[in-house]
Amino acid sequence: MDAVNALLIPIFDLQLLGLIALGTFAGIYVGAIPGLSVTMAVSILISFTFTWEVYPALALMIGIYMGGVYGGSRTAILLNIPGAPSAIATALDGFPMAQQGKAGEAIGIVTVVSFIGGFIGIFALALFAPSLADFAIRFQPRDYFLLGVLGILLVGSLSGESLVKGIFSGALGIAIGSVGMDPLTFTERFTFEISGLRAGVSFVAVMIGMFGISEGLMQLHTVNTAAVKQTIGRIVPSWAQVRKHLPLGLQTSSIGTVIGALPGTGGDIAALMAYDHAKRVTKNPEVPFGKGAIEGLVAPETANNAAVGGAFIPMLTLGIPGDAVTAIMIGALFIHGLNPGPLLMTSQPDMFWFIVSSLMLANCFMLIFGLTGIRLFVKIVELPRTVLLPVILLLSIVGAYAVNNSLTDVYWMLGFGVFGYFMKLYGYPLGPVILGVILSRLLDDNWRRAIISDQESLWMLLKGTLASPLSLVLFAAVILIFLSKTPLWGLVFRRKTAA
Amino acid sequence: MQTKQPRRPGELVFNLAMVLGSLFLLWSAYGISGFEALSAPGAVPMVTTAAMLVCAVLIFRESLRKGASTDETVARDILPLPILVTIAAVAAYALLLRPLGFLPTSFLFLTGLIYYLGRYSLLRAALLSALIVLIIFLIFRIVFTVLMPPGIVPEAEILAWFRGLFAGRGA
Repeated sequence: MDAVNALLIPIFDLQLLGLIALGTFAGIYVGAIPGLSVTMAVSILISFTFTWEVYPALALMIGIYMGGVYGGSRTAILLNIPGAPSAIATALDGFPMAQQGKAGEAIGIVTVVSFIGGFIGIFALALFAPSLADFAIRFQPRDYFLLGVLGILLVGSLSGESLVKGIFSGALGIAIGSVGMDPLTFTERFTFEISGLRAGVSFVAVMIGMFGISEGLMQLHTVNTAAVKQTIGRIVPSWAQVRKHLPLGLQTSSIGTVIGALPGTGGDIAALMAYDHAKRVTKNPEVPFGKGAIEGLVAPETANNAAVGGAFIPMLTLGIPGDAVTAIMIGALFIHGLNPGPLLMTSQPDMFWFIVSSLMLANCFMLIFGLTGIRLFVKIVELPRTVLLPVILLLSIVGAYAVNNSLTDVYWMLGFGVFGYFMKLYGYPLGPVILGVILSRLLDDNWRRAIISDQESLWMLLKGTLASPLSLVLFAAVILIFLSKTPLWGLVFRRKTAA
Repeated sequence: MQTKQPRRPGELVFNLAMVLGSLFLLWSAYGISGFEALSAPGAVPMVTTAAMLVCAVLIFRESLRKGASTDETVARDILPLPILVTIAAVAAYALLLRPLGFLPTSFLFLTGLIYYLGRYSLLRAALLSALIVLIIFLIFRIVFTVLMPPGIVPEAEILAWFRGLFAGRGA
């Protein structure tokens, strides 16, 4: 009964409903405008909503997340510039369709299949998360530690050009998250005798710097690029067209949900894997892939929206983010005094069902806003970036300042922004840094609990890991991911292929 | 790490800085509690910074092997003038925020950057900035209740005057 009540909260509360609608609407535009990312929007938003109650703050962020993942497809289709990384695969067939004068048809089908994918992801979240949380209560500290390491390794190996740079970024994030007083022994760590560092570095300043400022600086390289104008025809797709692609959409939605649920992996990887799956299973597409195949739109767009629901599964059940946006949302929950994980799921199940309901509503609003107001959309996307970028920078500064009313946070933000800009230029992924910052406490606490319970013996810890099926699976996954990126793996693989 | 991309200008220096920075952090992590115990407060920081150092050395070695890019320059592709100007503008904003206050600083920041980046006329950039600052102020001050330094602008009096105006009408 509590679950039903919590599910109904955002539906009957007009303020929450309005915030979800507003968030979804804004998310579509944020996701669509190249250079504005959902991660950037959500990280800036945290600093403005931290004084709010937790439900309205979450409602707005969930709307932006859902709308943003979908919105990225718009500019991928219209301009061949994916508005978000999760829309990279969409551009491969979406833009050729726009060049053939079928931009409206492409946007229409993408909207409907994103809605279907989104619902499957949310359904999986509602179905599996409660039982996973019950199971997660039995997790040992070493399992949490291994899950944290797994998340950083996964995002490090998949989001950048090399695993080594990914590990470096993740480790840097953990080091940044360790700055300040150790909560167990009150020993100072990385404070360099600067009193201002004893409370640690504001993670909001790190996030806004890394995702707001650095992205803004990167966009300055192409600030004067003129927008390509497109004409839009019929938008709402026919039922026959939707029905024809439904089986593929269901398969790729499942892929998206699973990939999204893996700690550290998000919609971008889900979309690329789904696109690859579609290419393999579609034997005779009407139009070849890469030249405007509808299947090339259905697969990535179902998968990236399904990954949204999937990403909430590890976040809510284990306190481990599914992707960069859920990492930031965990930060938002921390600010509101909540600690996501199995205990939150069992002690405050209404919070879980509120999130499920908000996601469902955001998905519905995405369908409505997606199929309407396209002409207004085209006008807004054509806004000059020379105006947009200074506004983003201003919002970033205000956001970094607002959390603690501290100018020091603004300087931190600028420092991390410039540093993040160089990292991006030289191919270091930024996602693992944020994941590292968020997971540093979890990793540190659970490592120390695990090793203390095993009497400070690495041998005992290893024996315990090998004796527990769950720990063993996690340990094997960590080792496999690591080995798969080393020359040794290539040697073994080549020998087997040669044999 | 098997990338065929050429080395970008400044990449070697940045990667070397990462090696030195990681080394310094490892030394600092060692200083937390040394090799006292596996559960000591410095254990995870030491492992983390050691991993950073190993990775940084591998990345540096890889960048040494790459050929330098011939068609890129630092001034054009890494730190072009608009980026330096923008970084300076953000730093100037932080410096002026307390003494001048949110409204004038934001107005100057936006006018300056829009004028510089967009090549608009100064008047157009100023009008556009005034409008944007007003919208941001109304949304964030009233909807999000974010408090920003008022500086030289008597913000509280202006807001009280507005409230009085509306209260007067309502009465």
